[in-house]
Amino acid sequence: MFNATVQRIRTPALKITQNCKSKDCHSVLIMIPHGRRCLSTSSCLYGKILPRKKPRVVHEIAGLEPITYADRMHFVPGLAKPRFPTWDRGWKDPTHYQSPKLEDMPLHKDKPCYIFSQRTNVLEGVRQALWLSKSVLIKGLPAQILSLAEDPANQIENQDERVQDAIKNSRLWDTTEPRPLRERFCPSLLHRLLHLCGGLQVTRPELAKRILAEKYSLAATWRRGEDMFQVRGQNGLLLNSMTPVPVLAGEEQIQSTADQALETFYPIAPTIDLQCTHVYQEKNDTGFKEGYPYPHAHTLFLMEMGNTPKLLPEQLRAKMVMFTFGNALARAQALYGKEPRVLEKPIVVQSVATNGRLFQFVVFQLNTTDLQSDSGVKNLVWVDEDQPLYEFAKVRPYIKKKVVKVPAGLSGYQPNTFKKFLALHLHGTA
Amino acid sequence: MASCSRLPLHPFLSTASARLVCNRHVQVEASTAKSLYPPILPSRTAKSKSAKRRVVTEFFEQLRSRTAQEKIRALTRVQRKKYVIYPQTFALNADKWYQHYTKTAYLSGLPEKHTHAESTPVIDESVLSEARSVVCSFILQEHWYLKKGRTFIHKEQEQFVTPFLRNMVCGLKNLLAKENPVLCLSSLDFDPQVNYYWLRGERTIPAGHRSGRIEPMRFQIDDKPHSQIRIPQQLPEFAPLEAEISAEVPVISLAPDRLPLFRRQYDNNIFIGAKLEDPCSYGHTQFHMVPNRFHRDKMSKRGLSDQVEVSLRANGIASLFAWTGAQAMYQGFWSEEDVSRPFVSQAVITDGQFFSFFCYQLNTLALSPRADGNNARKNLCWGTESMRLYERVTDGDIVGWNDAVLRLLLQFLLNKPQ
Repeated sequence: MFNATVQRIRTPALKITQNCKSKDCHSVLIMIPHGRRCLSTSSCLYGKILPRKKPRVVHEIAGLEPITYADRMHFVPGLAKPRFPTWDRGWKDPTHYQSPKLEDMPLHKDKPCYIFSQRTNVLEGVRQALWLSKSVLIKGLPAQILSLAEDPANQIENQDERVQDAIKNSRLWDTTEPRPLRERFCPSLLHRLLHLCGGLQVTRPELAKRILAEKYSLAATWRRGEDMFQVRGQNGLLLNSMTPVPVLAGEEQIQSTADQALETFYPIAPTIDLQCTHVYQEKNDTGFKEGYPYPHAHTLFLMEMGNTPKLLPEQLRAKMVMFTFGNALARAQALYGKEPRVLEKPIVVQSVATNGRLFQFVVFQLNTTDLQSDSGVKNLVWVDEDQPLYEFAKVRPYIKKKVVKVPAGLSGYQPNTFKKFLALHLHGTA
Repeated sequence: MASCSRLPLHPFLSTASARLVCNRHVQVEASTAKSLYPPILPSRTAKSKSAKRRVVTEFFEQLRSRTAQEKIRALTRVQRKKYVIYPQTFALNADKWYQHYTKTAYLSGLPEKHTHAESTPVIDESVLSEARSVVCSFILQEHWYLKKGRTFIHKEQEQFVTPFLRNMVCGLKNLLAKENPVLCLSSLDFDPQVNYYWLRGERTIPAGHRSGRIEPMRFQIDDKPHSQIRIPQQLPEFAPLEAEISAEVPVISLAPDRLPLFRRQYDNNIFIGAKLEDPCSYGHTQFHMVPNRFHRDKMSKRGLSDQVEVSLRANGIASLFAWTGAQAMYQGFWSEEDVSRPFVSQAVITDGQFFSFFCYQLNTLALSPRADGNNARKNLCWGTESMRLYERVTDGDIVGWNDAVLRLLLQFLLNKPQ
């Protein structure tokens, strides 16, 4: 994806955002990718910025010196425009910075690296994530977690009523406006459900040995075939714990994955939609320093609010798989070193993603860091997809032809989804 | 022949007997007798002050029998220009002004419930040490272990203090849920909205077609605490409703514009953090973060070192008055129907290192000019100075830990309804 003309990044002294004055945007600041201000009023109103015309290309002919108007000190029609040597300011001014060309940057490498970040929206979804992380898919949650979910001893008192109260609070009662936005009710619902689960600390003191980390930055690097891949960036809320999550699949199940083949999706390359870059650093970082008292990642919570960018459920599950894999890999490399090997003690990381109503559950078990070849022991992924917590939470009833189709308030509550959420939360405590 | 016999008394037992229906007491009868003419009332539609008074009285009378939702709607329906009070303000000596507008008496130090040894809940050493280790690990995670990039100075608080406070509230609440079972049933809100709208004092309209007339001054508080805990039952009072308190409510004779307070017109909201349907309609504790541009060292350089405590006090008084007032309105009380029991809430204001604690008791809602005339009650606010929790964080260690602050924090969270 490399063009012949290299684009250099200039930080302009002016801001690179613009107030969009259209009625539906309500003067929202939009980021223009090219960083230009558009002073025309008609394009601005509809958010479309016309592309800038490229400047005329000046060809250099070897051996010929162009006659310029440099000595005349003023423009003369017919003479060429002089090109002066670049002036060096002598000191670093942060508002006037021109970055070097990509080839001249210190971290430039010949071999490209494909990076998966929080904004990546992969085409093939979970299949692509499985290929990239050399994993095998199992539908449904593992039996240990399902048994935790069904066990009545693990439940909060008046569980259904309290969960329904939490949903109504975040969806209907949280604001003076008629209804809150998704950016508000999605994190609010997640925090309320976590707060309900945390109330079980009375009966299970091991729940105290956990901590939530927001805005941590992950970095994990691995090689697959001839390509190098990385998972980078902030992703979501991470629940860390002092004790590792117990291993779910036994030795036989792990060895039996060696016989299963990885699914490819020819003609689409598995590197599609990943950011390809030649300027990168091979970094393996869990996001926390040495000596952190909560070194083991327990659960990753992802919230999909439909703004940057809007992920369909399949792509959201792919994002979950990739980030759980990245967390597990970073921790494996911190514990056992960078040499690719099959782990004697597999690392398990869980993940829950929600858009405010639908929940996706993923449990990832990292069995091997030997990801170069397609054969051998593979990692295991359990995916439970599209679990609705409730069907509708409407402020006003949906009436069609004078018949109430969906009543106002909360309707269609599914208790099993919260049981699974709670089971995932309690997994790891005795 | 006349025989001595006792007269039967039963005729006198009946009040309708002829003996008792005596027409002698003319004055008493005239007032109780059915009057021939209907009562003389002022007109309802005339353009006169008495007509206006009658309309207002009748409106308030029919409001008494409505539900809380309808009362709030009726009292906040009409939008007019109002003074907007910002709890986090840089105005000088704002706490006196806010005390005047909310009719609050400020008492330094905490109420007896939190200071006297007999009434404070006993905190086990094990619970205290666990709380200490938990809070230390939260501080170290944000400042040391979690790798973060540098941000702008005024966004530092959002990067370091907000996640720490969030973790701390959750962690301490889960820890103390055993001792204080109401915390299990509580509702923890992050970034809630708290709004309150009320009338207080009068002003003469200076200009316009209504100039010269007297109108009440309207105030609105729109607050966004960092987090708050709401419970389904009410906390017990700190002081009896009709107790004699020595502290006085300061009186400000200047116009609010001089503080400065500015007038705007928009929706009059009364909101505790959740709508009326929520069962957790009483407040327990609010947690506030100081504004981003609030730096103690910079204020002392400008010679405003005393204003540090003043602004924290103003924040505590305004936020807690709005919260308790909204809680009272949710229960159906308003300025004509004053509260029958005091509403109590607590607040902690922090910048990550310094903590100040405030307790508020709402004794009266009757602040409007019509109801304030014969209202002897005043609201009470207790507060502390800001205290350091720790000195600094160096190399994975916290230096200069102060247990007293942690103890106060735990005491606040252990406050439970009867």
